[in-house]
This record gives sequence, C-alpha cells and structure tokens, in this order.
Amino acid sequence: MSAEVRLALEKVSKSYWRGPHETAVLKDVSLSVYAGECVAVWGQRGSGKTTLLKVAAGLESPESGVVRFKDQDLGGMSKTALVRLLRGEIGWARRTGPESDELEMLDYVALPLLKHQPLRRARRRSAAALSRVGVAECSKGRWEDLTDGERTLVSIAHAMVRQPSLLVVDDPTANLDVLQREQVMGLLRGTAEQDWLAVLITVPDMPSMVHAHRIGSLSDGRLLVPSGVLPERDNVVDFPGRGRAANG
Amino acid sequence: MSAKNAVLGLVIERPGYGYDLARRLQERFGSSGFAPTGVYSALDQLTSEELVRSGGAQVEPANERAAPRTIYEATSKGVDRFEEWMLQTSSLAPVRDELYMKIALSKPHNLARLIELTQTQEQDCLARLQRLRQPAGIRQQSRPKAWADVAVLLVRDAEIKQLQARVEWLQRARTIMHKLNHVQERSTARGGGVA
Repeated sequence: MSAEVRLALEKVSKSYWRGPHETAVLKDVSLSVYAGECVAVWGQRGSGKTTLLKVAAGLESPESGVVRFKDQDLGGMSKTALVRLLRGEIGWARRTGPESDELEMLDYVALPLLKHQPLRRARRRSAAALSRVGVAECSKGRWEDLTDGERTLVSIAHAMVRQPSLLVVDDPTANLDVLQREQVMGLLRGTAEQDWLAVLITVPDMPSMVHAHRIGSLSDGRLLVPSGVLPERDNVVDFPGRGRAANG
Repeated sequence: MSAKNAVLGLVIERPGYGYDLARRLQERFGSSGFAPTGVYSALDQLTSEELVRSGGAQVEPANERAAPRTIYEATSKGVDRFEEWMLQTSSLAPVRDELYMKIALSKPHNLARLIELTQTQEQDCLARLQRLRQPAGIRQQSRPKAWADVAVLLVRDAEIKQLQARVEWLQRARTIMHKLNHVQERSTARGGGVA
C-alpha cells in the first residue's frame, strides 16, 4: 500500500490584528500528515498551535499558502462543500462537552450521526466508539460526572464516531496525570495505525509527544523539525513517515 | 557521577555479562552520557569491593565457538550497599553548558551566529526527543500498572522535561537576540553601533 498524504499545508501564513499591531502567527509553515500516522506539534502558550489546527482543519483560511486535504485545495472549495468535508472527513475532538447537562454520553457521542441515521443505529455506533477508546462504562454517565481523562476519551469518541479520515486534537493530555496521558497518547497512535487515520495533535507538554510518529515545534510562527531531518521545501515537516507508512 | 551504582542496580535486577549490562545501561540511562566502557571499569571496581562476583560463564548459543562470557551477579554485601545508596540524599548535577558560556562572553557582532546556534540546538533537542520511545514492555492503549513501568516513565519524563525547559529557554533567548540584532543592524546602518 502506498503512503497517502491526507493533509498538506504548503507555505501557510496567518496573522491576527491586536489593536493597531499585526501579529504573524504562522509564517510559511509547511506540514504533511500521512494516513496511518500521528504527528505532534509542540509549542508554548500563544505560539499559534490552535491557529495551526484551525487552518489545518479548514476552520480558518490562511492569508497565503495552500491547505490540501486528500489533494483538494480547501481554499478553492465552496462553503457547502467545505462544510460537508468538515462534517464527514475531519474530526475535531473538543473537550467542551455537550450543551445539555442532562445528555448521557451514549447520546452525546451519537449526536453527529443523527442527521443521517436513525437513533438506534447511531447509538450502536456511539457505543462502539466509546468502547473503542476504552470508556464504554461512561455511556450512561453525564459530562459533569466524568474525570478529565474520561472527558478526553469521550471527546475523541465524539470526533471519531463518523469515522473521519483526519483527527485533530488540541492538547489531548491537558489536566491528565502521567498514566492517563500514556493511555490517551497510546490510543491516538494506535488508532492512527490500526484505522489508517491521520492524526494531528498539538501539545504544550513535550512528554506527550513521545508516542507520535513525527514531531515538530512551533516558535515565532515557524515550525522547527528535529535535526537530521532534511526538509523538501522551506520550513516543512516531511519525515521518513512516508517510508514507514509504506512499509505498513 | 560514575556508572557504579547504576551498574550495581542493573546486576541486582538481573545478572548479566559486560556487553549485556552496557546495553541495558544505554537503554535505561542513554542520555546520562555513560561511556559503554565505563561498565567494565565499574564491574572491576564492584568486584574488587566484593559487591558483585562472577556467577559463572555463559556461551552464546548462536556462536558456540566464541569465548564464554563472565556473568556477574550481586553479592549480599552489594545488595546492602545498594540499599544504603538508595537511602542517601541525591545531589543536583552542576550546570556546565558551552552555549551559556558563549552567550555570557559574546559581543553584539556574535548575535547572528548565536541565533543560529539556538535554532540548531532546539533541533537537536527535538531529535533527542524523537529518539526516545515508549519503553518496551508497556502495552499501548493501556495504563501501565507495575511500579517498574511507572518508574521508567517517570525517569523518561524527567529527561523530556529537561529538554522542554531547554527548548523554552532557547526560544526565549532567540526571540530577544532577534530583537537586539535587529536594533544593532539598524544602528549599524545609521553609522552607529551597539556596545
């Protein structure tokens, strides 16, 4: 099986205005994420990690550069097509939880499916997703009853229930202890490999990156990669992942 | 810090021959910078102090013509000494860093090169992090439960946190050096200079 680039950022730049000052958050960032791999980007607070994820997931447009998902330029897509893509192919795990405190987690995780599937089938898939991430016992629980670790895992199940091609997670190990962190990061890596999923995460804590297939750090809007990794283009993360993924 | 106590601890965990112990030392404390040959001098010292002894010889099954290897095992005196060491206070390692010295002794005209050095060193930190892998024996997608596994994780975390602190400092240093370098370049362009 040949390696497949699921997500490619090519020389992406993005800035925000803070009062009269323009702050460049991303500067010529290039990054590829392949099917079957987990890529982790580390950065300090305010380094642009969340912006990177929003741009990667099509939620924000870059000022310059191209974002491709499965070879499609997100910038060239109609709004309708983009929304369809975001709903079907890109899963963003958010730890905000359901809007209703009364919702059981089985139904919360089933929510993204209800537009196209009957409740019973959606619940069946929700139960499978919760079981897949190891929190089947939370299906009857409510968000406020869950621990931080369980909330993270339920959020991942919520993002994965539609079986996306790309999973995006902002700081999946926030508030977790060492053991919970190992469980969550092991799950993300294992899911990428077993489900042939592309996973892109950002973390503020380097120990969380050890499970990732490839890593980078974001500073002053630029992405740095480990020494010994030769970029194909300027400021690009493009490691031997292709070879590894190609070898299965 | 010599490798002596680390080697003694590894022998207590499981008897082994020199090469095996050097490999295990590298696996467990790779970033501590112990030289592989340090294992042999540590074994000599431990043997002379009667903390370890030769527990026999082993022939490698794959290479029966090779000379038998001496297997080292801990003596009861060695186990007692190790327990004493475990109870002792541990000192902080001294910070002796070449880049700190370069920055402390640098002049404004060195800034551009120092900026490059911080970037290279950040990439080296990332490369070291990338080489650190999930400890063998800890199953993915499950929480490690045995203390031995947790201990390995904690030590690995300590190592990574040091790398993280280093990278954070390098980024902060680079940011401020960029600013000062910019000021210096503007000043130079106007015919002045930065002392």
